[in-house]
Amino acid sequence: MSVRRVAAVAGRIASQFRRDHRSLGLLVAAPILIMSLIGALWGSVDPASVRVVIAGDGATPPAAALTASLSRAAGLSVRSAGLDAAVASLRDGSADAVVVLAGSPRVIVEGSDPTRTSGTLTALTRALAAALGPATPAPPVEYLYGGPSASLLDSLAPGLIAYFGFFFMFLLAAVSFLRERTSGTLERLLASPLTRGELVAGYLAGFTLFALLQAVILIVFTIAVLGVSYRGGIGAIFVVAAGVATIAVALGLLVSAYARNELQAVQFIPLVILPQGFLSGLLVPVDRLPDLLRPLAGAMPLTYAIEALRAVMVKGYPLGDGLVLRDLAIMAAFGVAALVGAALSIRREVA
Amino acid sequence: MPAMPSPAIQARGVTKTFGRVRALAGLDLDVARGEIVGLLGPNGSGKMTFIRTLAGLIRPESGSIEVLGRSPSRAVADGQVGYMTQAAALYGELTVEENLRFFAALNGVRAAGPRIADALATVDLADRRTSPVNTLSGGMRSRVSLAAALLHAPSVLLLDEPTVGVDPVQRREFWNHFRSLAAAGTTILVSSHVMDEASRCDRLGLIRDGAIVAEGSAARLVERAGAADLESAFLILAEASR
Ligand SMILES: Nc1ncnc2c1ncn2[C@@H]1O[C@H](COP(=O)(O)OP(=O)(O)OP(=O)(O)O)[C@@H](O)[C@H]1O
Ligand SMILES: [Mg+2]
Repeated sequence: MSVRRVAAVAGRIASQFRRDHRSLGLLVAAPILIMSLIGALWGSVDPASVRVVIAGDGATPPAAALTASLSRAAGLSVRSAGLDAAVASLRDGSADAVVVLAGSPRVIVEGSDPTRTSGTLTALTRALAAALGPATPAPPVEYLYGGPSASLLDSLAPGLIAYFGFFFMFLLAAVSFLRERTSGTLERLLASPLTRGELVAGYLAGFTLFALLQAVILIVFTIAVLGVSYRGGIGAIFVVAAGVATIAVALGLLVSAYARNELQAVQFIPLVILPQGFLSGLLVPVDRLPDLLRPLAGAMPLTYAIEALRAVMVKGYPLGDGLVLRDLAIMAAFGVAALVGAALSIRREVA
Repeated sequence: MPAMPSPAIQARGVTKTFGRVRALAGLDLDVARGEIVGLLGPNGSGKMTFIRTLAGLIRPESGSIEVLGRSPSRAVADGQVGYMTQAAALYGELTVEENLRFFAALNGVRAAGPRIADALATVDLADRRTSPVNTLSGGMRSRVSLAAALLHAPSVLLLDEPTVGVDPVQRREFWNHFRSLAAAGTTILVSSHVMDEASRCDRLGLIRDGAIVAEGSAARLVERAGAADLESAFLILAEASR
């Protein structure tokens, strides 16, 4: 083993790397970015107040008393409404639990997210026990979606399907388009009647095939092998997953215009992929994000994909549901913007 | 009096800078239809940059360029331009035939089968039709790359050092083919460092630091430089323009 030769290789690597300012910058910036995200995410654990709706006649003494005493409990924000309105606010996410006072009291929770559900139930049962007195048995709990047996995986699965689908298609598209640039074939394509729009559409169509295949595998595996329960139609799940892949391909093409080599393409992972993993509702519900980060979530396509996929898979919403349609529309807007951006960026000279 | 047909290529005062490098510095060149013009010049003199402006890949900062009487990108969009890049730009995982099929489809070639067979015969690679491109030798790749530029029978052929790594027998075949294309009306602009190749052109343009410094047939350039052959003429003229 020759020290000189080893030193020569090491020296060469160092000088190559020293010239790649972007890689150097990222070496420092990426960990800081990711750690500050994690810090902001879990450091400032927002003891989000549990939003309780008391359903029943607010005027009768027991309801009023209960409302008053629950309102005093720390971490609870209480209002009252009719039963239908209360359940509706559970559905649209503006409430975490409903306490129904018709007959013996019972509790309804949303239930699609086990982490959130258990947090809600812990706070609420403690407050209820204090309000109703130790003699009263704990009120029964009903679940709008899922149930006490819903596992963490059940609620994570939709997010993971969307996330990994996005991740792989993004990388695949970015790297293969980059190869088109570095191999000189892009030059040849641009010197032919092929338009940029056609090129982007061709890439999209070519990759969509694989994206759909991947979506099938992911979905079948999570449902059949991991035993994740789902309620929506498989078709609806598929539509959302395909939408995610489309956006990923378009973003991959866009990003490849700003990379000079495969290494730089891979460096977009901590910038594009990881933050979406933290902020798009995969790990922490978006409405529980610190105020500083929540607007970021709104600017991320995965946020809407995960919301839609959860609605379809866990809550069994049909594709035609207003919430799902809205998410799909926003995803479509992201997709179109990314595709147009990709088409416009193709001529960017990467020297 | 019949209207003069516009030249196939007309460049006037073309400039292009990359950062601090002035790649094209007021380049003028006319190429008539059916003419074969060679671009000679030292490394980095701007040959590829000029060819890329003709292929619509670079927009010059100033000056004007017309290809077949229209803008380069228009001519490219009309499928009138064939461009062979200096390095063989092909898909290595695909076979020779798959590559050619793809480029034929991009250029809207109908009945691609016979055209591909023709192009492969021209570059003498019919027997390697099914080989993946990355299993071919360097010279063979150049030949496939040329075949890809010929498929759609473009009116203007831009060839950036088409015969690098190509053996003498094949090179002669190439030039016979270029001649017959030109006789049929195809205009060819070819960059080269090979003098024997340069002497086969109808006309040569000597390019240096992004501008044409001498122009004319090989014989005229030799005469003008008072040299014995084209190679020394090239060296003399290139030095003189310093
Ligand atoms: N994309 C680019 N970015 C930066 N500089 C460039 C680029 N393309 C060309 N140049 C510069 O422009 C000048 C002309 O380069 P060009 O490739 O046109 O030369 P050439 O005549 O084809 O040379 P060769 O005989 O070596 O092939 C060179 O100085 C080169 O470094
Ligand atoms: Mg060159």
